[in-house]
Amino acid sequence: MFAEFKHTMRRLRGQMIGWGIGLALYVVLMVSFYSSVARMGNLYEELLKFYPKEMMGFFSSIREINTPQGYLDIYYFNYMTVILGIFVVGACASLLVGDEEKGVLDLVMAHPVSRTALFWGRLLGFVTATAVILLVSWLSWVIPSGRSGLELTWIKFLQPFLPLFAELLLFGTVALLLSMVLPSGRMAGMTTGGLLIANYLLIGLANINQDLKPIVKYTPLHYYQGGYAVSGLKWGWLAGLLAVSAIFAVLAWWRFQRRDIRVGGEGGWRLPALPFRRRAGAGREA
Amino acid sequence: MAVRARTGYLPGELALDSNMTVEGALRYFNTLRGNKADWGFVHQLVERLQLDLKPHIKNLSHGNKQKVGVVQALMHRPELLLLDEPTLGLDPLMQHEVYHLLREARADGATVFFSSHIISEVETLAERVAIIRQGVIVEEAEPSQLVSMAIRRVWVRFKEAVDPTSLTEVEGVTLLSKSNNIAVHLQVEGEMDGLIKALAAFPVSDFEIERPSLEEIFLAYYESNDKEED
Repeated sequence: MFAEFKHTMRRLRGQMIGWGIGLALYVVLMVSFYSSVARMGNLYEELLKFYPKEMMGFFSSIREINTPQGYLDIYYFNYMTVILGIFVVGACASLLVGDEEKGVLDLVMAHPVSRTALFWGRLLGFVTATAVILLVSWLSWVIPSGRSGLELTWIKFLQPFLPLFAELLLFGTVALLLSMVLPSGRMAGMTTGGLLIANYLLIGLANINQDLKPIVKYTPLHYYQGGYAVSGLKWGWLAGLLAVSAIFAVLAWWRFQRRDIRVGGEGGWRLPALPFRRRAGAGREA
Repeated sequence: MAVRARTGYLPGELALDSNMTVEGALRYFNTLRGNKADWGFVHQLVERLQLDLKPHIKNLSHGNKQKVGVVQALMHRPELLLLDEPTLGLDPLMQHEVYHLLREARADGATVFFSSHIISEVETLAERVAIIRQGVIVEEAEPSQLVSMAIRRVWVRFKEAVDPTSLTEVEGVTLLSKSNNIAVHLQVEGEMDGLIKALAAFPVSDFEIERPSLEEIFLAYYESNDKEED
């Protein structure tokens, strides 16, 4: 398992460096802007009066942009599930199936490594890589914050990262599970990415249209605190997100244990032939 | 798991992680085996196959990728080797080096199973050959046994013109061609005994048996099966 963990970490090294540095630069820039935004105070509130009410509803935290939690939410945590979601969905959808589709997994599995070790080693590598990216982001908020007026302790800064981490794990494990049941990793990535973006839009739209409120409580992002976790973490929500992620991971592992591995030269499985396709095939044979 | 630990495997469609270096890929496979390989032996294999450890897999030619596959299959000195087309894409010199490596593995006590479409390779290396048709073993024997069981072609030259009709009446003998009744080209299925006895009545000046290659035997199996299916 450790060999696969190390291998996954090595493979995700570029992603960790790229995402880590990119987000760190962005965060440092945002930290330096906070004192200016906070100083605007009443002026900013006057400005917001001219914003369309739909926009104010969609980005509800914009009203609190001059508070630390509002600022953190609107400039980072609100959309980081979608931004970092690109990384987690892509990484998880190809964590095992990517190698399978390239034919690499055939040779790997001829070595004395169990499917369980292969699966959990790689998943642990992905989880660690995600944690490293978030750790770099967290440090980028914490280290320069003293000079910016963002007067939060390092623990307060850490709190919103925990629900973000849990959400990313949840969507990552969904992508992993779908990659085990859908014909290709690409399809699993597209489906999970679509679900993630749809959920993000639904949450924003539910702030505008109250009829959507009963639906959103069944979606994962409803239980995402974003920057507001600075004021207090909802441990129940966090535990729930982690538990659901664990269930998806176990289901993906169970599926990986029982499925045939495609070897080099084989394509993805096909959907069952539809009646008209079967007839067309029979006509050709005749 | 225990069996896989003692087995070396080379797939026919070899695919490696293209972003790794040759050394990275070999070290990764070695880690999967619990770092059991003797790295000195790995270097020996690499040198004998003239493989550079530094380049990335994506920059390697097909032949060099195949060498990586051969090294990873042999590097832990497995007791059982399963190789699908081990010399695919290798130049003749490297093919011979792989033959040497496989003979050495066999001499060290390893059992080597390999599939090949290169019949000369099978003749050179194999102690036993199985012919597989549509996923089923249709024949299994030593290469020499297969050759002796097969159809032979015989050239016979006579001192004077003869009527070869009586030769074609021998069981298993077919006349392929004749030249002014002085020379005949025959095909013999099964034992040669009947033909030799029939030839005793003729003034024979020359006699030559064409030994079939393993390739011809292989093709004969396929052709005969095709006829049966028709």
